[in-house]
Amino acid sequence: MKILVAEDDQLMIKMLEFRLKKDGHDVVITNDGRAAVQKLDDFQPDLVITDIMMPYLSGLEVVSAVKKRYPTGTPVIILSGMGQENVVLEAFQLGADDYMTKPFSPNELSVRVRRFEAPLVK
Amino acid sequence: MVSKAYLLSVFSIWHIQNIVLAGIILLILGLLVYMLSYMYFKSVYDKKFDKWSLISDLLIRKAVFYDDEEESEGDSAIPVTARAEKLMDNKHFRKLLINEIMSAKRSITGISADNLKHLYVQLGLDKYALGNLSSGRWYIRAKAIQELTIMSMHEFVDQLCLYADDKNDLVRMEAQSALIQFNGFDGLHFLDTVTYPISNWQQIKLLQQLSHLPPANIDMTQWFKSDNSSVIIFTLKLARIYQRFDLYYDIVSCLDHPDPLVRYEAIHCLNEIYTDETSDDFISRFLGEILKNQLAMIKVMETVGTEKDVLFLLDLLNHENDEIKIGAARALVQSNKDGMVSLEKYSKESNDSINEIVMHIKGEVAA
Repeated sequence: MKILVAEDDQLMIKMLEFRLKKDGHDVVITNDGRAAVQKLDDFQPDLVITDIMMPYLSGLEVVSAVKKRYPTGTPVIILSGMGQENVVLEAFQLGADDYMTKPFSPNELSVRVRRFEAPLVK
Repeated sequence: MVSKAYLLSVFSIWHIQNIVLAGIILLILGLLVYMLSYMYFKSVYDKKFDKWSLISDLLIRKAVFYDDEEESEGDSAIPVTARAEKLMDNKHFRKLLINEIMSAKRSITGISADNLKHLYVQLGLDKYALGNLSSGRWYIRAKAIQELTIMSMHEFVDQLCLYADDKNDLVRMEAQSALIQFNGFDGLHFLDTVTYPISNWQQIKLLQQLSHLPPANIDMTQWFKSDNSSVIIFTLKLARIYQRFDLYYDIVSCLDHPDPLVRYEAIHCLNEIYTDETSDDFISRFLGEILKNQLAMIKVMETVGTEKDVLFLLDLLNHENDEIKIGAARALVQSNKDGMVSLEKYSKESNDSINEIVMHIKGEVAA
């Protein structure tokens, strides 16, 4: 599965990259929202994992851009420290497919990612 | 003929110029040496730091994904290289590793987070933190408490208790937050003994921490008797937020506290926890109160006031303070359904200033 990760925390990047690659995914990392949106056409991801608070473009803007470009596919998982109800609701209204708050369990993320893998297998 | 004096003065100027020039050259050389040696040591340190970062990253990655690794079977210790173990004696490396472990621990939960704690203990970093608790420098104590809290070192909660009334406010804050983190509402028992004030910021922080926990019906009555006003204020906030109606008479007793800030918080609290006697409790104490608390009482009477308070509120329309007058008129209208009728009737028999207030309140109601 091709996964595009948008995250600005270096330690988180290392952990996510390691975990996702270990699960057999093809991972591309971007350090901000703008870079993630720019990568969409080149990389054509099957899944996007994004933080919310990032430089240049927020994760919510990344969600909008992904859903605009791929209206029927490419799920987006938000992985953010912001757990406030209004932010979560806004993310889902914009089309986010899943929302995980930090601190998060890497094992749980792995399972959630796998959930989006199933339709591809079919 | 050139005079001797002239020659001497030329020589002396030339001499001074040379000394200045030599000084400048020496200064430039000194700066150059300083810059070069700084760059050299910085590059040595950066290289060392990069190596340490790599070692630290590997250790953390190993711990976070330990359950996935084959070598975990039959051995509970997270594999640590001899080099990493040797580096544990280096305080700069330890500092880097601890910061990285803490940062990772803040971001993850579950088995991975447990493994990070395991690594932290396995490397003996908890012992260093415990040692730092008795440091003479407050920021080292505060950092140690924060570290043990983030790393969920519940086993050290008794040691952390000792710092909940530390003379330094930041150390106290960290220790009090740690107790809530570890013991939930039971952690609030530091309020039994705390003598230093709990700042407003700290109160907000503690309430925010508690908001993530399921409410618990803990005994708070003794905190109303504390000699520390901030403890009573914080208890009043807890009573208000957690709707502790069982504490009603304790809250009312705070209306007679010598500290006006405690009385103010009690008035505010009675806006949420009240009976039909609350307005009487206010009225009997109104004249003895400071202006700020009088205004607060009138504001709360918008909620707790009844028909029996109409005369008291009408009487306040003749008060010398305009804020009290407007507040009383507002309370009159808000607290009972015939309030506006009473107000209009009273204004017809009164002076122009009361009519203006009535018009103002009518405008508010219409809006």
